[in-house]
Amino acid sequence: MGAEQAQQQHESDEEIDNDNSHRGYNINNNIDILAEILTRLDGRSLSVASCVCRLWSSVCHRDSVWEALCNRHVAGGPGTRSVVVALGGYRRLYRLCLGPALDRLTVTGSAEPDRSGWAHLSLSLSLSLFSIDCYERLGGTKQRPASLLFLCKPVNVS
Amino acid sequence: MGPYGSDSTTGSSSSEIHGGYPFRPADLCHVAPAAPSDSATFDPSDVSYWVDSMLNELSSASAPSIPNLSVPDNWPDQICPPVNPTPHCAAPQMIMAQQRKEEEDSGIRLVHLLMSCADAVQRGNTGLAASLVDEMRLLLSQVNTLSGIGKVAGYFADALFRRLYATETPLSASEYDVLFHHFYEACPYLKFAHFTANQAILEAFEGHDRVHVIDFSLMQGLQWPALIQALALRPGGPPFLRITGIGPPSPDGRDSLREVGFRLAELARSVRVRFAFRGVAANRLDDVQPWMLQVAKGEAVAINSVLQLHRLLSDPGSGTAPIDSVLEWVAGLRPKIVTVVEQEADHNKPSFLDRFTEALFYYSTMFDSLEGTTTSASSLPGGVQRQRQLAVAEVHLQREICNIVCCEGESRVERHEPLSHWKSRLSRAGLSPVQLGSNAFRQASMLLTLFSGEGYCVEETDGCLTLGWHSRPLISASAWRAPPVSEIECMNNNVSDDVVMPCKDNIGDSNNVSTVDDNVSFREENINNDDENNKLSCSGSGSGEWF
Repeated sequence: MGAEQAQQQHESDEEIDNDNSHRGYNINNNIDILAEILTRLDGRSLSVASCVCRLWSSVCHRDSVWEALCNRHVAGGPGTRSVVVALGGYRRLYRLCLGPALDRLTVTGSAEPDRSGWAHLSLSLSLSLFSIDCYERLGGTKQRPASLLFLCKPVNVS
Repeated sequence: MGPYGSDSTTGSSSSEIHGGYPFRPADLCHVAPAAPSDSATFDPSDVSYWVDSMLNELSSASAPSIPNLSVPDNWPDQICPPVNPTPHCAAPQMIMAQQRKEEEDSGIRLVHLLMSCADAVQRGNTGLAASLVDEMRLLLSQVNTLSGIGKVAGYFADALFRRLYATETPLSASEYDVLFHHFYEACPYLKFAHFTANQAILEAFEGHDRVHVIDFSLMQGLQWPALIQALALRPGGPPFLRITGIGPPSPDGRDSLREVGFRLAELARSVRVRFAFRGVAANRLDDVQPWMLQVAKGEAVAINSVLQLHRLLSDPGSGTAPIDSVLEWVAGLRPKIVTVVEQEADHNKPSFLDRFTEALFYYSTMFDSLEGTTTSASSLPGGVQRQRQLAVAEVHLQREICNIVCCEGESRVERHEPLSHWKSRLSRAGLSPVQLGSNAFRQASMLLTLFSGEGYCVEETDGCLTLGWHSRPLISASAWRAPPVSEIECMNNNVSDDVVMPCKDNIGDSNNVSTVDDNVSFREENINNDDENNKLSCSGSGSGEWF
């Protein structure tokens, strides 16, 4: 009886300890771990995650998160990073070009025999379109850059 | 409906009512004064025969046999535009079938009227033509002109009206710029052209450290950001890139070429590509002389012409055209690659009726493809902006139609010729063809997959790529180069010692120009980014305008 009580006490102590540690640990206190987790998400989940709270939104604005996402789909060569950053960053690249392009290309195309060639081509095409968008933005605010409108997807707001 | 045109649907070819005057078709050539045209054998009764055969084809769904005029396979589709679903879903089938029949009838009538009017114009019978135009306008007010054959017929009827009453107003360069820009954004033809040309240029520039691109029509320079980015990422590092952009002089004192050059230089600076830009302002391409381009020794030259060469043509059989002299100096520059993109159509035939018919088919297909994009665009975010893009793109096409239909002689610049003609012309000029590789084809296919229209198709014929709508090719891209020759380069412009070399020495050289053609308002602007200091510096000519 005493042993059982002691065991129960021990278990309840453990639970209390777990509760304490559970209350003490908050992912929002460890932004780097949060960022690490977010780098493993897909594009849509990342966008959803950026709507959770201001903190999460600011973490999702980090380019490294989107860079990891892009590199998982299409890995570029050594100089790609500096070019992408110069043209506007990975987040913008994914949002405007790579994301919509990958969506459309994977829907319509069947399994490509040359996976790496396909990835390389879709990256170069996305970068070309992205550079045109960057160039349009350089032209001042006369017109909204519109060369990528054709990539917009319909949003289901039902 | 009135007394006009009702007989044409009954299929009787014995007597027709043309513009209110009943007479037999065989008498038509007596009524109209003899026009100095070379189609004296054209029998106007064949038009009604063609219409009759079309009607028979539609009712019996058998294959049509068209005597004189070649009809594309999708012609029946075009004159039966999809009937918009009525709000009352319980509409009986009879009414819908009748609506469709009426639309078909109107479409056929419109086409018939267009052909008759064009024929009248060719014969010089302006009175008949004018009355036919009025009849068409009456009919157009009752037909759906927002889509299908109604829209195209509306534009062509309008163009005929302008031809008869000479109300054509030329466009200013900035207006043309805006139209071109919207056409670029609305449909994939120009993007296809740019990307294919860039791929060919990229492949030709492999292994070269100093490269020079000459653009026959700079516009907004939308082709070049992609090339700059691709060169930045090429294995082995970017070369030193020079771009020379040719364009019309700006009327209001702004130097649009220089502004575009600034933007390109800014982009090149951000991706760390050594870059220099030069603008050559000339109203016509044949005013440009090779020395103005200042090609330096040892650099790889690429010449890029997107929808420009056809402007240099003249009437076939009229001897030498400006194109010949231009192609001569192009070949003389010994370019590593010449990219030529042209419309795939035959709009330079001597006979007006032939031109009109060809243009009608070509632009019907073109407008069809725009509509295919419209329907899928209207539901998108940014859909309103997209609709506007498409509307302005249509205006751009309308200007082309007007030029083909209304203008003659020097003022007609839209002299499209098919790829086969361009191939023989460029071969005669001494250029040899370059096969556009599989990379270009795959890139074009992927680009089309991104575009939401389902009917686009890319084809590869003989090393050239064509983009079309439902198997009718509309635009073609090909690449050429000067065959490697071991003899000394004979052009006088790239052997002189005080030629422009990269970076610092440009300021002095720009004043060495001593002989200037009177027709060219020519201003040089040198814009380069010095990669050692990595800042943007601009050296203007400072010498003002040359006349």
